[in-house]
Amino acid sequence: MATVAVDPLIHHYRRKTPRLSPKLTTAKQSSLNYTRRLLSRGATFCSFKSPLRLAVRAGSTEAALAETSESTDVVFDKTFSLKRTAKVEGKILIRLNSGKDDKKWQLTVGCSLPGKWVLHWGVNYVNDIGSEWDQPPLEMRPPDSITIKDYAIETPLKKSSMALGSDIFYEVKIDFNLNSSITAINFVLKDEDTGAWYQHRGRDFKVPLTDYLQDDGNVVGSKKGFGIWPGALGQLSNMLLNSEGAQYDGEDGTSDLREPTQQKRGLEGFYEEHSIIKESLIDSSVSVSVRRSPETTKNSLHIETDLPGDIVVHWGVCKDEGKRWEIPAEPYPAETIVFKSKAMRTLLQRKDGGPGACGCFTLDDEYVGFLFVLKLDEDTWLNYNGNDFYIPLSNSSGLHTRSRLVESEKNEQQDVLERVESGSLPIPEKTTEANQAGSAYTDEIISEIRNLVSGISSEKSRKTKSKEAQETILQEIEKLAAEAYSIFRTAIPTFSETAISEAEAEVLPVKICSGTGTGFEIVCQGFNWESHRSGKWYLELHKKAAELSSRGFTVVWLPPPTESISPEGYMPKDLYNLNSRYGSIDELKVLVTRFHEVGIKVLGDAVLNHRCAHHKNQNGIWNIFGGRLNWDDRAVVADDPHFQGRGNKSSGDNFHAAPNIDHSQDFVRKDIREWLCWLRNEIGYDGWRLDFVRGFWGGYVKEYIDASEPYFAVGEYWDSLSYTYGEMDHNQDAHRQRIIDWINATNGTAGAFDVTTKGILHSALERCEYWRLSDQKGKPPGVVGWWPSRAVTFIENHDTGSTQGHWRFPGGKEMQGYAYILTHPGTPSVFYDHAFSNYGSEISELISVRNRNKIHCRSTIQITKADRDVYAAMIDEKVAMKIGPGHYEPPSGPQKWSLATEGNDYKVWEAS
Amino acid sequence: MEVSVMASSQANLRDTELCGDRDVLGFCCSNSNLNAQICYGKSKICFSKSIGWPKSSVRLAIKAVSQPEPVVSEKVSGETSTSSRKAKPADGVRLYVGLPLDSVSDCNAINHSRAIMAGLKALKLLGVDGVELPVFWGIAEKEAMGKYEWSGYLALAEMVQKVGLKLHVSLCFHASKEAKIPLPKWVSDVGKSRPSIFFADRSGQQYKECLSLTVDDIPVLDGKTPIQVYKEFCESFKTSFSPFMGSTITGISVGLGPDGELRYPSHHHQAKDNSIQGAEEFQCYDENMLNHLKQHAETLGNPLWGLSGPHDAPRNDQSPLSNFFNENGGSWESPYGDFFLSWYSDLLISHGDRLLSLAASTFSDTSVTLSAKVPLVHSWYRTRSHPSELTAGYYNTVNRDGYEEVAEMFSRNSTKMILPGMDLSDENQPNESLSSPELLLAQITAACRKHNVEVSGQNLMISGASRGFEQIKKNLSGENAVADLFTYQRMGASFFSPDHFPSFTAFVRSLDQPEVHSDDLPTIQEEAAESLPGKNLQMQAA
Repeated sequence: MATVAVDPLIHHYRRKTPRLSPKLTTAKQSSLNYTRRLLSRGATFCSFKSPLRLAVRAGSTEAALAETSESTDVVFDKTFSLKRTAKVEGKILIRLNSGKDDKKWQLTVGCSLPGKWVLHWGVNYVNDIGSEWDQPPLEMRPPDSITIKDYAIETPLKKSSMALGSDIFYEVKIDFNLNSSITAINFVLKDEDTGAWYQHRGRDFKVPLTDYLQDDGNVVGSKKGFGIWPGALGQLSNMLLNSEGAQYDGEDGTSDLREPTQQKRGLEGFYEEHSIIKESLIDSSVSVSVRRSPETTKNSLHIETDLPGDIVVHWGVCKDEGKRWEIPAEPYPAETIVFKSKAMRTLLQRKDGGPGACGCFTLDDEYVGFLFVLKLDEDTWLNYNGNDFYIPLSNSSGLHTRSRLVESEKNEQQDVLERVESGSLPIPEKTTEANQAGSAYTDEIISEIRNLVSGISSEKSRKTKSKEAQETILQEIEKLAAEAYSIFRTAIPTFSETAISEAEAEVLPVKICSGTGTGFEIVCQGFNWESHRSGKWYLELHKKAAELSSRGFTVVWLPPPTESISPEGYMPKDLYNLNSRYGSIDELKVLVTRFHEVGIKVLGDAVLNHRCAHHKNQNGIWNIFGGRLNWDDRAVVADDPHFQGRGNKSSGDNFHAAPNIDHSQDFVRKDIREWLCWLRNEIGYDGWRLDFVRGFWGGYVKEYIDASEPYFAVGEYWDSLSYTYGEMDHNQDAHRQRIIDWINATNGTAGAFDVTTKGILHSALERCEYWRLSDQKGKPPGVVGWWPSRAVTFIENHDTGSTQGHWRFPGGKEMQGYAYILTHPGTPSVFYDHAFSNYGSEISELISVRNRNKIHCRSTIQITKADRDVYAAMIDEKVAMKIGPGHYEPPSGPQKWSLATEGNDYKVWEAS
Repeated sequence: MEVSVMASSQANLRDTELCGDRDVLGFCCSNSNLNAQICYGKSKICFSKSIGWPKSSVRLAIKAVSQPEPVVSEKVSGETSTSSRKAKPADGVRLYVGLPLDSVSDCNAINHSRAIMAGLKALKLLGVDGVELPVFWGIAEKEAMGKYEWSGYLALAEMVQKVGLKLHVSLCFHASKEAKIPLPKWVSDVGKSRPSIFFADRSGQQYKECLSLTVDDIPVLDGKTPIQVYKEFCESFKTSFSPFMGSTITGISVGLGPDGELRYPSHHHQAKDNSIQGAEEFQCYDENMLNHLKQHAETLGNPLWGLSGPHDAPRNDQSPLSNFFNENGGSWESPYGDFFLSWYSDLLISHGDRLLSLAASTFSDTSVTLSAKVPLVHSWYRTRSHPSELTAGYYNTVNRDGYEEVAEMFSRNSTKMILPGMDLSDENQPNESLSSPELLLAQITAACRKHNVEVSGQNLMISGASRGFEQIKKNLSGENAVADLFTYQRMGASFFSPDHFPSFTAFVRSLDQPEVHSDDLPTIQEEAAESLPGKNLQMQAA
């Protein structure tokens, strides 16, 4: 493999550790695609092969417009616009070069794709510790820059004078002086049109500069040295590796990478190009018209489309509003075959002279509707916003449907989704109940119990034996109960929204279990770190409520509503003042009502660990509160010297930026209980997302939950996983145990975010170590493996991702993460930025698979493969999934598997 | 070299666990870089691969090692704390769970059999002893008289046997509105031409969910009396299920009236939600009842008393304590009242006697236990006149124990009494209804004890709130246990729902193990305190 040696333009430098004795190594080709060599200057340098192909996919949701026209015999006429995405390849360019003199340098970042590009950037200074960004000095900021809080700058890219071929080209130039104490420039690229962020594996682009400044760098040959600047070598090598995230997956990490385009290297600085792929829309349409012939009492349906190629209409008819696919009586149109006796397939006739095709179907009067999807090729299907196209045939239902369509068009994003499938089709499946049920495994356990019960000889053996057996039995019972529940629940023929509330309210004075909700919840985190900016987030989210509901979400988590020192709301001050940067209390109420209208439960983000004070005490310390809850310093924990609290010692960890509330005080707990009840009644919140619950004992949380009786509650217990030498340990049992301890302390009244699973997914995906996804007992290694019903699985939130990026999910692999959490037990939570990104449709697809198969928080999971490059599992014996580049096909056993959805390095199958 | 020092200290740490912990902490403090890392300002990064800094890994390793070993207790792996039940002491309570009313559909298929199978297995694993299966007349003899179709129920019995549970069969000669199971069509058809086979109240409103007790011995069903038809039904059942009798099937209960209970359908127009009840009405207005009353009055020499039911009995919408039932001076205390109420309740008891002796003779050659159900009519129990019980057919007032004769009748037929409502506690009853399920239960069980009638319990609220479990437990455990068998009603969606099933499993467990074994105590609490990670290693804003 060719490597290009250049002067140490980007290189690694260990400033803080001069006492480390250098360990010289000879040049060595590492798997990360860089070469380290010793230079005379004693610094490490590296050269890069940087064939980056970033997945840049633009959002592709547009309304499917329906034009209706009436004519005497035309019963139905409508044109659906089909928006398909096509991939456009482009480049991100990064150039670093010196200016007039050695001290003046310039960093240029460009992009060859059209878009409203913004560079979001910051720097590191010499004395910075850690990898946080800081704002660059004023003289460094190009015109039109906007400061983002105290750590970043946003600068728009401008059309470049320098054209790159015929392409339009956008770029931004940053001038800086090497004498400034800047050690690195960090940036990410943002497309304002789509809101998409382009980074590397969830990290920033990082350009280290230190070497130009100080020439006394040590030779760092030791492997250990590489991580010291998370950005330097690690980052750029990450960039290289990251290319697999986009289009092709280097199974072995290196072999496939493209030769980088490297030009103008040498003293000039460096110049890199990274190819990116952006998905753009292709407009097509399909028109459907229905004519009624009074003589024959038949409907004649005409489909016409401008889609190119051979278009197959996959269709059926239905006799009632139930939209159950049926096969019509013969005769069929030309080029028609019956597909698996479930549907018809008709090849549309190509139009002469130009792309497009059309077909005509004659249908008997008895049919009420015509259902179809379009098949472009084996893997590509087009449907109507996730559903089949439905064309009403009789006049009356036609009107009805039309109005429905018109109404739904008001909800934005009524789009025709491209759906990639193969094998089986969106045919409504009849649920058949096998007479034989249950596993042989259960039978074994039953006989085991008999032995156990009869075979108790000594107390001691009973203890040990039953303890092991108990765990298995308990899980088996929970599994069986969940199975029975799911069938019974859906088998009730009169089951409907109203029926539930009435029937259940009558039969059991329902207390929904706050740890799980119904068990079928899917959460959407309804904000990100920037949502406070517009000042009208509640209004903005209001418009999205219907869409969230239609996409299958059942719970939305709203940002902290209280007055807060920080705009994001996590530094609350007056708990009863609900006018925040997200909107007013009235707007909040309207929003909550709106969510309730569309059947979504609303979680309030309750910050109970700390509270910002209104007044100083006599020592000038801010620890006296005002507002309706005018606590004094007895409400503040005693063991944080910053705030001189007179309460008891904290029952958990302290958060140092604000006074930590002492929950052991009765008056504090009483006030918090009342406040939560007030939020329930006044605002209509259904439940809680509890912030920083590491800060106080879970038993208090139980008390708050018992008092406020939420529909669902989840706590954020976030601490570190265990690492050895920078590598995450395979066994994270201690980590998940801590989370489970907390849930236990709440008596199971709340779930907890499954931080363990997120961490393990990071390692598994990032390093292609999919074996990590099975623990020693062959179960999922996160909280979801031990207490699935209380695990709220997620891959990103406002802290880990968004613009904070404290612990970002490996970039480009988010869909693998969602394929995991949306098929697995536990309650999945989807981050706003992902739900409304170009991943949106793929996520919706996974949600519909989850709902279709009634996977719930207690679903059973069997890990069928956990190898280096592939992980596969079967859930409830109804859904099979795999993630990772490796090959996997579910074994054909009692089930017949058909592919339900797939994407980059993931596949999900359904049993049919 | 520093790196190697750290590596070895970490290795030590692993070996020496907690002692090592202290060593390394000291080490940390001496290392300024590490401190810097720990305290750094804004960052909330807990960990990530890119911090490939050896020191950070040491820090994390400290935490890892200083954590206690993960404790996977049953609390952890499942929210229910249950275990296989211990071998039962001889005098322990047996626990059954009712199968869904519509387990077998009217075309003799098993409804949602997969769910039932899963449910049966879950119950078996839980340690439940058996299940109760309602067998409906309207399904098994649906087509025509004498044309029995047992296949659905047989298949279900086989499932139960396979799982190794016991089976209690309830023969239901009533219809179920709730499960939409009617009487056999040919019976309802008779009712169209002969309305007098059904009960009627004063306004003539009929109750069509079971036959009136007055036609027991009248050949209204194609020349046969209902008693004969019931008897043949029982015979056919016995023959068809003979392979299961005494082995899987351990008990059979015979339906005696509305909802299988020995009572008049005085409650049938009531809302079922236990809200404040109005009066319930006497159900003596069908043709046969009125004739019988007339004859009875004439025999006693008071023909005027036999012209109709009590003229001043309050109607549905009136206060139950008015007129006839007036607490002071109501005619229920008069000689007329005594005449009417005795007749009304005697009819009921003799109906029960007829059916139970029928069943006893039919099943006498098997080893199954026979039982029948008596309602717990607890409304207005705290009054002198007990109007709800009186209209239901139990002549039980402040002056008279109406359950003695009933218990005596059960005793005569060696039949167990099934009492529902063991989940009801007085404190949860609306005050205005002056009801007392607990006192009534005590009265009936006392009568049973006196006549050596065994009692089985049931709950009234289907898959009710967890409060009910406390009450059930109270009734089943300790010195005063009133029943040796309890049937929990009833399997279905809400039974297995996440809101209910965990509390049910906890109930099952607590039934067997009243004292919590030390194994079951959450050991987590102290550990949780210990396991709190070292403070302030990171900050976390949100």
